[in-house]
Amino acid sequence: MRALPTEYELVAPRTLPDVLSLLAHEPGAWLPIAGGTDVMVQYSAGKLAARKLVSIWNLPELRSLEVMADEIQIGAGCTYTDLRAHEVILRELSLLSSSASWTGGIANQNRGTIGGNIVNASPAADSLPALMVYGAELLLVSARGERRVPYASFHISYRKTQLAPDELIRAICLKRQFSGYYAHARKVGARNAQAISKVCHAALGLLTDGVVDDIRLAMGSVAPVPIRLSETERIIRGRSIDPQLIRLARAAAAAEIRPIDDIRSTSRYRAAVAANLVGEFLEQLSVHGARSENSQKVLARWNGLQSDKAAEEILPCCGSKAWARGMTTRRPVLNEEALLAACDEVWRNLPESDWLEAYRSHPRIGDSHTPASAPVQSAAWSSAEQQKVRAAGEDVKAALAAGNREYEQKFNRIFIVCATGKSAPQILAILRRRLQNDEKTELHEAAEQQRQIAHLRLKKWLSS
Amino acid sequence: MSQSPKSREKCEISFTVNGKLETVHVHAMERLLDVLRHELGLTGTKEGCGEGECGSCSVLIDGMLVNSCLIPVLQANGTKIVTIEGLAADGRLQILQQAFLDCGGAQCGICTPGMILASLHLLEKKPQPTLEEIREGLSGNLCRCTGYMQIFDAVAEAARRGATA
Repeated sequence: MRALPTEYELVAPRTLPDVLSLLAHEPGAWLPIAGGTDVMVQYSAGKLAARKLVSIWNLPELRSLEVMADEIQIGAGCTYTDLRAHEVILRELSLLSSSASWTGGIANQNRGTIGGNIVNASPAADSLPALMVYGAELLLVSARGERRVPYASFHISYRKTQLAPDELIRAICLKRQFSGYYAHARKVGARNAQAISKVCHAALGLLTDGVVDDIRLAMGSVAPVPIRLSETERIIRGRSIDPQLIRLARAAAAAEIRPIDDIRSTSRYRAAVAANLVGEFLEQLSVHGARSENSQKVLARWNGLQSDKAAEEILPCCGSKAWARGMTTRRPVLNEEALLAACDEVWRNLPESDWLEAYRSHPRIGDSHTPASAPVQSAAWSSAEQQKVRAAGEDVKAALAAGNREYEQKFNRIFIVCATGKSAPQILAILRRRLQNDEKTELHEAAEQQRQIAHLRLKKWLSS
Repeated sequence: MSQSPKSREKCEISFTVNGKLETVHVHAMERLLDVLRHELGLTGTKEGCGEGECGSCSVLIDGMLVNSCLIPVLQANGTKIVTIEGLAADGRLQILQQAFLDCGGAQCGICTPGMILASLHLLEKKPQPTLEEIREGLSGNLCRCTGYMQIFDAVAEAARRGATA
């Protein structure tokens, strides 16, 4: 039965203290409503028990996102869109960005808030496992003051939390300590957007010398509350990943969860999926973890070099000397993600003359002669990148050569394209399209291609 | 946003809808969707599921795509709203609307206003979206007629024609 608006009261105080004094005055009488993506659904269905609502949508005290030296504090009123748009979260707390991206569709991400998701306390909520593995803490606020509680103990039982009737979540606090970790999140549901998960999973792992130094696994939709798989973690921690460990971990995960049969799935299916997700994560961790260990060795050595030596070593990844110098000022660079982010920022801020210098360090597409000034490593990489072009037929090569000449006449520089994985006919089509560009558009398109080339080369360098 | 001390009484809400300042006297918990349709006669915004799943009631509030069935009207006080009626100007369809017609992106029409507003929101952020970005941008909007392909084509075509330029 549809709700009648006349039976409900809704107020919208301007400040957080005003909201808190309302809650303190009549504890439990007022239901806070933020973006409305849960409350309004119950309201429309005539199932909302509360008759008095207080809007906390867009209160400035709840919408801030503060990055401190060792911690990030996310205001409880931040939306999924806010989380997805934040660069530090994307870089350091990527599990939150990815789980935000498959919560609802875009309209719900524009309104749904992280605090609302926690208080709504659905065991299937997609972002909650990420908060579990990051070891989040919640800042709870009331007219009585503020307290800080570990998120891991916030959910008491199905839809019951530690929140007192006069309290709100003010912020979610996350430590910035996961730079070397491999992070992985996955939602298993009928579809990503809008569908509620059958199982959702977030995981962090750290390998040191081939041994699992730290592992954090959390799942949603497999118990009355989002849970950490502590027993499974205990089995994995301190061991190296092999088929036997994966078998043990899969069995432990399936035994540790407490799934139910409901309209979305069965407990048997959920247990099978949970085991698969843990197995999948361990396999990926062993590959990525080994790679990231190697990257960290390369970076640790590079971080310790004299500036000019460090610039010389990284120069072949881009070709611009100003870029190479800029990269050395970003040291210490701790991991691949930070390296690629530094690359983009330095590259974006260079003047055009430095972009042109980078372009000049490449051979023409289809031409084996690397410019004499280019470093040996750059020539070797160029050759590997253009592997597919060399295999092309003579007619395509001739068309590329003609296209190159036309391009150089029009733009007065060589044609730059990220050739890795592209066939000669694909490159020819791109070349012909870009010949239609005006000078400014083309300069930026070439710069984007050069950025992609630099990323691939930096990754090769890290695995050297 | 203003305090509304006697919320069970009607309250006064003012917002800009499609460039025009409007003031209505309604209950604070009325859904924005109902106020647009019944108070302002803007029936282009459709009700589908009424629970934020289908996107038929999509509108833009201060440039953000939202489901108007999930917004209590008090939360829209003082905002700028764009509905499907705000797109065509001087008797001429907006580029996206024309592209939906040209590509067969509309059939029964219930999802179309929401699809077009979600597309507009996407193209304002990403004027040249990839197919993957189009699919994600429209993932909160359901269509039971077209099978989606013509809709994706329409958005790509509108991008080529410079829909937000």
